[in-house]
Amino acid sequence: MEAVGSSTLYLRLRKRITIRPGEAVTLGQAARLLLHTPLAQTLGKLELYRHRPEDGNRYVIDILHIIQTIREAYPELTIEPYGDPQVLVMISPKPRKPRKVVLIFAWLLLFFGAGLAIMNFHADVSMKEVHQRISELVTGKRQEHPLWFQIPYSLGIGLGMVLFFNHLFRKRLNDEPNPLELEMYMYQENVNTYVIAEEMGKKQRIEKQQRQADD
Amino acid sequence: MTELLLGMFVALLGLGGGLAVGSGMVALLVVFDLIPRLAQLANAYQKSVWFESALVAGSVYWSLADFLDWSLRLPLHALPLAGMGLLDGIFIGMLAAALTEVMNVLPILAKRLQLGTFIQALVMSMVLGKVLGSLFDWLVYQW
Repeated sequence: MEAVGSSTLYLRLRKRITIRPGEAVTLGQAARLLLHTPLAQTLGKLELYRHRPEDGNRYVIDILHIIQTIREAYPELTIEPYGDPQVLVMISPKPRKPRKVVLIFAWLLLFFGAGLAIMNFHADVSMKEVHQRISELVTGKRQEHPLWFQIPYSLGIGLGMVLFFNHLFRKRLNDEPNPLELEMYMYQENVNTYVIAEEMGKKQRIEKQQRQADD
Repeated sequence: MTELLLGMFVALLGLGGGLAVGSGMVALLVVFDLIPRLAQLANAYQKSVWFESALVAGSVYWSLADFLDWSLRLPLHALPLAGMGLLDGIFIGMLAAALTEVMNVLPILAKRLQLGTFIQALVMSMVLGKVLGSLFDWLVYQW
């Protein structure tokens, strides 16, 4: 049974979208739509928000605002939203590309930093003496440079790290994400959540001020 | 014959020890969220291979150099040394900041003492304290 003249619009908001300054966000950009009428095409082009310079480089479109905009244009539609209750709009003049110089700097930073950290650790726990002692205990001879121990040890450090990052056997043993990628994802999600909360707070403050000014 | 077997046994011991130390080291760095922060600065969330290769290469190279007395013998020795000193300093600074961040030292301090508005000043005091402390350490205390 289908009610005459009414239909349901299912929509799932995207997490975050990027536009250029001055551009507009349409419903089709902000959400995935499911609607079984030819209306879907025009609905996707419905403008939700146009960027103004005073909005800065990020903006949050709330689901309530989206529903209100759709209601005004198509009062007969029933709207069923799913997913996040808001979409984060990032405004940047050009597509965000990795910054090569910073990346190379970060590589050098981690290369020398990791070296310092591991040498610090070795000095801290007298690793060299322990190596000499272990090799003496096993072979019975004291050596100044127990190479048979030290070289495999150093390679073992690298192997242990690669194993931790889950790169070596990823294709063969499992396709779990590596802990670093997971941590990066969590970090990005946290930043998003914070930005959304902050933008919502800012919007509420502005609305409050406007209401007070009106009274 | 026994010589070779003993050597292989020692090598196995070394490899095992290295495995434990290496995975401990990265686990520590990952917990500190240092790499995601760098990825954010470089706008390179998808390029984790860069960060991983730097850590692995740095750890392996410098421990080998340490044990086997490899010297790079770079020319103009003051200049590369200063650059490396700066990089190492930045790394330790990030590590120290990340450690206090993981331990939630500043938010708790600010909340207990009701100094939430001065959190910037608290951070700056810590930064200045660390810089001056390090300078004092090298120039006076451990001279």
